Amino acid sequence: MSVQLFEPDREGEVHPLTLAALVLLLLTAAVTQVSVVARLPLPGGHPDLVLVLLATAALLEGPITGAVLGFVVGLFGDLMSTHVLGRSALVCCLLGYLVGLLADVTERSVLIALLVVSGAVAGGALANVAVAGLISDDAGAPGQAFLHALVAGLYAAVLTPFLFPALAAGVRRTRRVRWARRP
Amino acid sequence: MGRDLRRSRLVVAVLLIITFALITIDYRTGESSGGARGVVHTVVGGIENGVTSVVRPIGRTVSSLVHPNRYHDRADELARENADLRRQLADRGEVTRQAAELSDLRLLADKGQYTIVPARVIAIGDVSGTDWTVTVNAGKADGLAVDKIVINSAGLVGTVVSLTDHTAVVRLFCDPRSRIGARLEGTQLLGSVAGGSGPNKLVFTLYDASYRVRPGERLVTFGSLDYVAGVPIGEVTKVTDADGLSRTAEVRPYVSVGTLDLVGVVVGKPPVDPGDRVLPPRATPPAAGGSSG
Repeated sequence: MSVQLFEPDREGEVHPLTLAALVLLLLTAAVTQVSVVARLPLPGGHPDLVLVLLATAALLEGPITGAVLGFVVGLFGDLMSTHVLGRSALVCCLLGYLVGLLADVTERSVLIALLVVSGAVAGGALANVAVAGLISDDAGAPGQAFLHALVAGLYAAVLTPFLFPALAAGVRRTRRVRWARRP
Repeated sequence: MGRDLRRSRLVVAVLLIITFALITIDYRTGESSGGARGVVHTVVGGIENGVTSVVRPIGRTVSSLVHPNRYHDRADELARENADLRRQLADRGEVTRQAAELSDLRLLADKGQYTIVPARVIAIGDVSGTDWTVTVNAGKADGLAVDKIVINSAGLVGTVVSLTDHTAVVRLFCDPRSRIGARLEGTQLLGSVAGGSGPNKLVFTLYDASYRVRPGERLVTFGSLDYVAGVPIGEVTKVTDADGLSRTAEVRPYVSVGTLDLVGVVVGKPPVDPGDRVLPPRATPPAAGGSSG
């Protein structure tokens, strides 16, 4: 019984099918986030589905996929919202890239992945507020932002043990499809 | 490895340049609900509407998980029947709650003689979690327009900021960009309430420094060409600046934004300003000398 969840792969390689599947997953997550997750009666606040999935995907797939994925889902979120276009795209793109750089370090251990993902989600939530404040002066109270980030990070820690292996398995499956198609 | 790293740096640099360009362009052109954004709003609004009607019971399921009952685990007939009945009861409760909410909303609208379009919240906030907005399932086709006031049975909720045919984005009163004209109950002095200090606090600025604002005084909307007058906003809890050129005070809003569900968009104004009659009657009359001739 192997504990290994994921065969290590060459860094920086972008798999088109995997990328497309992840983009689809994250766009779905973005809609789910605002219409389902945001209205669940959960204690403390809400998990940030988009950031959790983005960080997990970047951790599995490396910096390039992370950056592209973050850019696409961030831009989609911007288009859905009423704030300045490109704001979430900036934060998500950077987050995907930086988490992707850590893909080597984590060595596919769920515990480290858990720490990285929760940290990234909390950092991403704070960065969203900071960028909002810098660009258009519409950040709320800082205390509230910290609380929101903390809660989002904690929920990320709860979700990651389930999402990380599931996403890893999903990614592996999309790769197999690609290889099977190859002559 | 080094080549890969350089390539990934190049990719991220290009993407960042695009985001900065987008921010700059969009910031300069201002808010627009046309183009790509309008298309996304329309498509996503449709999806959100569908998703909400399908998954509305999820909230109930989650609350039943938070209060677990062991009957779900036992596989006998009685338990299933029990669970069924419980679900029916919960459904009945939900229907009753909705009916009560709708009739309260109607009552408030009738008091002010507002013409409203009822709508339900189908999405909350945005992906980054920094916007205080909600999306509702009524739009241009239902007669909504930008800048209309949105209310629920407790009072002011926000204003419409963008529209598609069947959905509208409402900026809540607590959004940092929200600024709504307000006046104190019993006076005609103009002020404004601004958001940005969290969901349970508004900042009221009165432009007339000669008037002494006192805690406990109530606020209604001032009214203008775009939006109706007399909608209850909240109650003054603390006077923060009593000396400057204007008065500022903290206001506790009547509406709690955490539990928004059914709202009404005010699309028609009453022929005359409804004054203070939309406010709920006071339990105790204000101190003597409160009314000025």
